[in-house]
Amino acid sequence: MADLQDELHTTAEVGPLDPSAPPPLALPESDGQSDDGIGSVLGLPPLSDAGGDGDPDAAPIDRAHAVLAEHPVADGYSGLPWALRHLPWYDLELGESTIDTDVPRMRRGHVGALFWALHLPDGLTGDRAVGATLEQLDLVRTVARSHPEGLRLAGTAGQVTDARNCGRVAIVLGPASAAAIDDSIGILRVLHSLGLRVLTLAGTSWASKAGLTRFGEEVVREMNRLGVLADLSGASPATTSRAVTISKAPVLCTRSAARALRPHPANLPDETLAELGAAGGLCLVPLTAEQTGPSVRDVADHLDHVRAIAGPECVGLSGTYDSGIAHPQELGDASCYPNLIAELLRRGWSEPDIGLLTWGNVQRVLRCADFTAKAAQQRREPSTARIAHLDG
Amino acid sequence: MTREVTSVSSLEQARQLLREFPVVDGHNDLPWALREQVGYDLDARDIATAQHAHLHTDIPRLREGGVGAQYWSVYVRSDLPDAVPATLEQIDCVRQLIARYGDELRPALTAADMEAGRREGRIASLMGAEGGHSIANSLGTLRGLYDLGVRYLTLTHNDNVAWADSATDEPVVGGLSAFGREVVREMNRLGMLVDLSHVAATTMNHALDTSVAPVIFSHSSSRALCDHPRNIPDDVLERLPGNGGMAMVTFVPKFVLQAAVDWTAAADDNMRAHGFHALDTTPEAMKVHRAFEETNPRPVATAATVADHLDHMREVAGIDHLGIGGDYDGTAFTPDGLSDVSGYPNLIAELLDRGWSKPDLAKLTWENAVRVLGAAEDVAREEQGRRGPSNATLERLDG
Repeated sequence: MADLQDELHTTAEVGPLDPSAPPPLALPESDGQSDDGIGSVLGLPPLSDAGGDGDPDAAPIDRAHAVLAEHPVADGYSGLPWALRHLPWYDLELGESTIDTDVPRMRRGHVGALFWALHLPDGLTGDRAVGATLEQLDLVRTVARSHPEGLRLAGTAGQVTDARNCGRVAIVLGPASAAAIDDSIGILRVLHSLGLRVLTLAGTSWASKAGLTRFGEEVVREMNRLGVLADLSGASPATTSRAVTISKAPVLCTRSAARALRPHPANLPDETLAELGAAGGLCLVPLTAEQTGPSVRDVADHLDHVRAIAGPECVGLSGTYDSGIAHPQELGDASCYPNLIAELLRRGWSEPDIGLLTWGNVQRVLRCADFTAKAAQQRREPSTARIAHLDG
Repeated sequence: MTREVTSVSSLEQARQLLREFPVVDGHNDLPWALREQVGYDLDARDIATAQHAHLHTDIPRLREGGVGAQYWSVYVRSDLPDAVPATLEQIDCVRQLIARYGDELRPALTAADMEAGRREGRIASLMGAEGGHSIANSLGTLRGLYDLGVRYLTLTHNDNVAWADSATDEPVVGGLSAFGREVVREMNRLGMLVDLSHVAATTMNHALDTSVAPVIFSHSSSRALCDHPRNIPDDVLERLPGNGGMAMVTFVPKFVLQAAVDWTAAADDNMRAHGFHALDTTPEAMKVHRAFEETNPRPVATAATVADHLDHMREVAGIDHLGIGGDYDGTAFTPDGLSDVSGYPNLIAELLDRGWSKPDLAKLTWENAVRVLGAAEDVAREEQGRRGPSNATLERLDG
């Protein structure tokens, strides 16, 4: 029952054995490591009981690596499927310099899970939208199959944990464009069965500026029943607040920073952040110069702000690599997360809060989606609603 | 009198035989009928109860007919845009049916699943896509359909696709194009059966040249007996033993009875004159069709007509290469005695009367179809050891 475990506690199955905990009342002179001794004398709380991970006087970058080793990054958005589509040949296992993400760099960056976006160029509909989505799903499955040492497809929170415990980067499929379901709940079910776990509610007649139509609400209910998370980055304010209200599972914003700091249309105003926080949703802050600013500190400012408004349980990260977007300095590819975490440590983020930011919150949301789906499937038949009936 | 007694007893024998070796039917269009009639509102057509008024197919009649495995067609029309999303909806429909009637229907992806269905007494439910338009010229989409459980793809429907000629369209590429051959190879690699019903004879031959796995004709009869392009010429049937594949005889009167071929041409003209598609099965269209029939009596095919085809096909292709593909709910009219899915025992009885042995009939109804799918799986395992998924595109190969 891996999905019942709290993933913040990594198992002892992999990795080195935990060093024995220091004696609780160790005296300075009895401790071999003078640094720790000074810490104890000064009364600083140990950041971690798992050895030197949280050594408060170690360089922030070293501490960042130690913290990330325990709480890897669940990165909420990668543009790899579309980027790989245009490469004639690639090997993510050995490393691939033409893209931002490969297995060696994900290992250096402590990436434990990655959401692979299936977004399409604007304006595709019908055959082209659904066909391109099927092609991308096929590509991701093929990539996962051909990199069994590094990557593993995961459809549930439990499978994400299992992949992580086996030393693989978990691949979660999504977000996909709403256009991918071509106004059909049946197609939503089919895409879910192929692994889709996140759908962005924007850019269709049923999730537009005017908000969710009756059919749009039915789509959200069916997503809840299946365990597909609603992504509201890029959704209209009306859609966002309606989806937050009706969704039984937490909602996500896979690429949204704070509008109070930077007026990008995809960034969220404080009231939406507060609404999201109150509903237990999750705002994944993108590492893009455009949305957050050109430096690591700018990104950290956004994280501080979102944490303050929405709460530490409602903030996460989305690298947004391989999406054709400029990234802040020192955050140029998937190996750079320690730079960001070091900055947060300098700002006094506690290890538990960092653990929530990088891994715990995403796990919580995935797990909630699974449980909501299981409960809903007991109570609801698959929806037979058709857009022509509800919106026609 | 004696004749009647024999035939009653052979019908009883047929039923007994089907209990042991039930029918694998290659093609049933129930999902399309559900889409057209009720927009997939499965409550409106509860197939656990008799649906004589609306459908050829429901579970009681499948049981009566001795059906043990069914390839449900996830057909969509080839003359409309956006075939891919429509195909996915058809797949969802089949899955909803299987989930809803789980005591009667069993999801099936492999030959082993078919056998398991037979042992459990549930109808093994497979899927076949009817027409290359359902993959929109994309091997990625083809693989998506395979992942969703589709186990055969008919290369074309009534219209050509860019890479294959249909039997009922003007020839363009002269069989299979380079990309078309790549589609066949990728299907071999996946373990998806290549279905040659509906394709031009040139396409049949090209596919047989290319495929290293057995091919099927999911619903086609003999062209020697009834000269219709949808049927299989003898020189193609002759190639089946070498390929290991099978031809699943269809019952559609307008393909099996020459008089019906001619009558249908006239009826189709009449439908078009009234503004309907010739294959339209909505109630309004059926009304027009019935009106035509009243003034022009329909030539009647029977189980014997179909048995004539099987006798001939057996002579040409051999007993190991025959099967059954009724095309129920995909055709407006059916032969007498085979009017719906409960009719298969009448065909088996007719064949018993013609001297077909029980082992031969077991091959026809069950064993050949299971063998063919299993062989495709074996080929797939072998091919997957040799090469990865094909990245070929229509533009690159045919451009």
